[in-house]
Amino acid sequence: MPEGTVHEAEVHAVLSARSKPRSNGTIKKKVVGLSAALVIALVLPQVVTNTYWLGLLNFLIIYSILCLSLNLILGFTGLLSLGHAAFYGIGAYTTAILMTRYHVGFLPAMLASAMLALVFSLFLGIPASKVRGDYFTLLTIAFGEIFRLIAQAWIGFTGGAMGIVGIPIPKVFGMPIRTETQFYYLGLILLAITFVCLTIIVQSRIGRALIAIREDELAAKSMGINTPWYIIMAFTIGSFFAAVAGSFLAVYQTTVTPSNFRLEESCLMIIMVIVGGMGNLWAPLAGVLIMTLATEMFRSLAEYRMLIIGGIMMLVLLFRPQGIFGSSAFKD
Amino acid sequence: MLYEVLMIGVMVGAIYTLITIGYSMVYGVLKLMNFAHGDVYIFGTLMTYTLLAKNQWHPALAILLAAVAGGLLAALVEIVAYRRLRAAQHRMISMITALGAAYVIQNLSELRWGNQVLPFPSLFPSKQLMVMGHAVSLTHLVTLVIAVGVIAVFNIFLKRHKMGKAILCVSEDISTSSLMGIPINRTMSTVYFLGGVLGVIGGVLYSSSYGAVSLGMGFRGTVIAFTAAVIGGIGSLGGAMIGGMILGISENIISVYVSSTFRDPITFLILIAILLIKPTGIMGKVEQGKV
Repeated sequence: MPEGTVHEAEVHAVLSARSKPRSNGTIKKKVVGLSAALVIALVLPQVVTNTYWLGLLNFLIIYSILCLSLNLILGFTGLLSLGHAAFYGIGAYTTAILMTRYHVGFLPAMLASAMLALVFSLFLGIPASKVRGDYFTLLTIAFGEIFRLIAQAWIGFTGGAMGIVGIPIPKVFGMPIRTETQFYYLGLILLAITFVCLTIIVQSRIGRALIAIREDELAAKSMGINTPWYIIMAFTIGSFFAAVAGSFLAVYQTTVTPSNFRLEESCLMIIMVIVGGMGNLWAPLAGVLIMTLATEMFRSLAEYRMLIIGGIMMLVLLFRPQGIFGSSAFKD
Repeated sequence: MLYEVLMIGVMVGAIYTLITIGYSMVYGVLKLMNFAHGDVYIFGTLMTYTLLAKNQWHPALAILLAAVAGGLLAALVEIVAYRRLRAAQHRMISMITALGAAYVIQNLSELRWGNQVLPFPSLFPSKQLMVMGHAVSLTHLVTLVIAVGVIAVFNIFLKRHKMGKAILCVSEDISTSSLMGIPINRTMSTVYFLGGVLGVIGGVLYSSSYGAVSLGMGFRGTVIAFTAAVIGGIGSLGGAMIGGMILGISENIISVYVSSTFRDPITFLILIAILLIKPTGIMGKVEQGKV
């Protein structure tokens, strides 16, 4: 760890306004809530047998992984990344190419995808961590555009606008995943792994350092937090899990096309996180649920889609910046 | 061949400079990435298109009306989406509301004009002039002259006019300016208004020299303006000019000698390279933060 001079107490001092003492009661409540959620998630496909709803559930899982990982960057570190869809896309394309052309198994392909996203995010994160927050956003937009153009123009490698089709059925430890329900459980495992990893990160000193950076980067820096290091860390971890989601999308859809990974997709993820509540571990999941259901319900209003998305973005942030389920808005 | 490419590059650069100045000025005052800039100027350009092609207005009148409309729209965005958030919230939050405003404007323009490419009428007669033994299209030359003229007038406005000076003060330090009696809200609205006006003029010149306008150019415009502003050094007029010129010229060279597919990726690579070498941009000053 290069930030040997950090004093835990000082980081806490930055956050003293936010940190709440934990009593036994809240921990008990959390355990009960978590087990209830787990039980519901496990029995859900036994109750919901309609393929349409199961498909919707699988997309809920994909967006949940994406939004949880985006929340680490957006909600906890306070960096607006508009390139999350590109890392999602890197994951999907890498898995698709490895599985269709090189006949790699699903799990190794997924791991390779996530590692590749990690490498790319490192390349982007190094310049991005040196510059101010807004330049970070510009760099992520630039990266997203470069990714999209390569996916569209390098036809020999990425299949161009048609994308890659016929991704084989994934096998997990020898078990083929075919039905919607099987995909649901696979996705649920991936989501659980993501959630646990991100929770551990957020509740450790890393998480506290990230929040300190979000609240006041300069103050965090002057307290000895190696801010570029933590910004890169948050960005690469977030991108890693975005690629996991992309990998799952590739095998679930059996096709990937560049249109899955446009800038609009990044914006949609941002809205989901905002509506739920930034900087809160659970809230993005609520945002995903609300926004996915809303998109399904208002499918007939496709013409006004962006108007609605943009309107929600503005209304939520103007009148309830902490999101629907977030507890406290973060301030500059 | 190279001469022509460079000539068009300089013209496009001048137009980009116009669009970038509006953007960079807003950034200088509010330190906020204005996502709505591109969609505002494309709204103004589309409006000019309707007035010119459908209603047969006189070009000067049409551009004037559209520029004012674009400026008012930009000022409206400032009042609705940013003013409430200016003091209290994390900067990122106003960036997201800006993105929301951009989406709303984009969708409204799409409902009115659709997102196909529309043929934009040429504002100037298509003639070739001979300058120093090379053929130069009149459109390109006039566009360049107008763009440079507008930039010059704007520069004089900033340095001489009371409001221009107020804008420079506010971009230096909001709270001190407020204590000195500068009306902050009015200055902000003026900055947005002028940014919108300059953007629409740039958008109209761009569309008329390429003979086309489409909604998709809006978001690209935002990104190009920000890229140019960052490359040149944000908040500085000279920087906007250098950034705009670099992008305009490099873009045309890449389109002609490499491929137009790689135009934007290479532009972004230039951006990443410059941020790595000099994070403040070519003309930018290092800013000292305060705890």
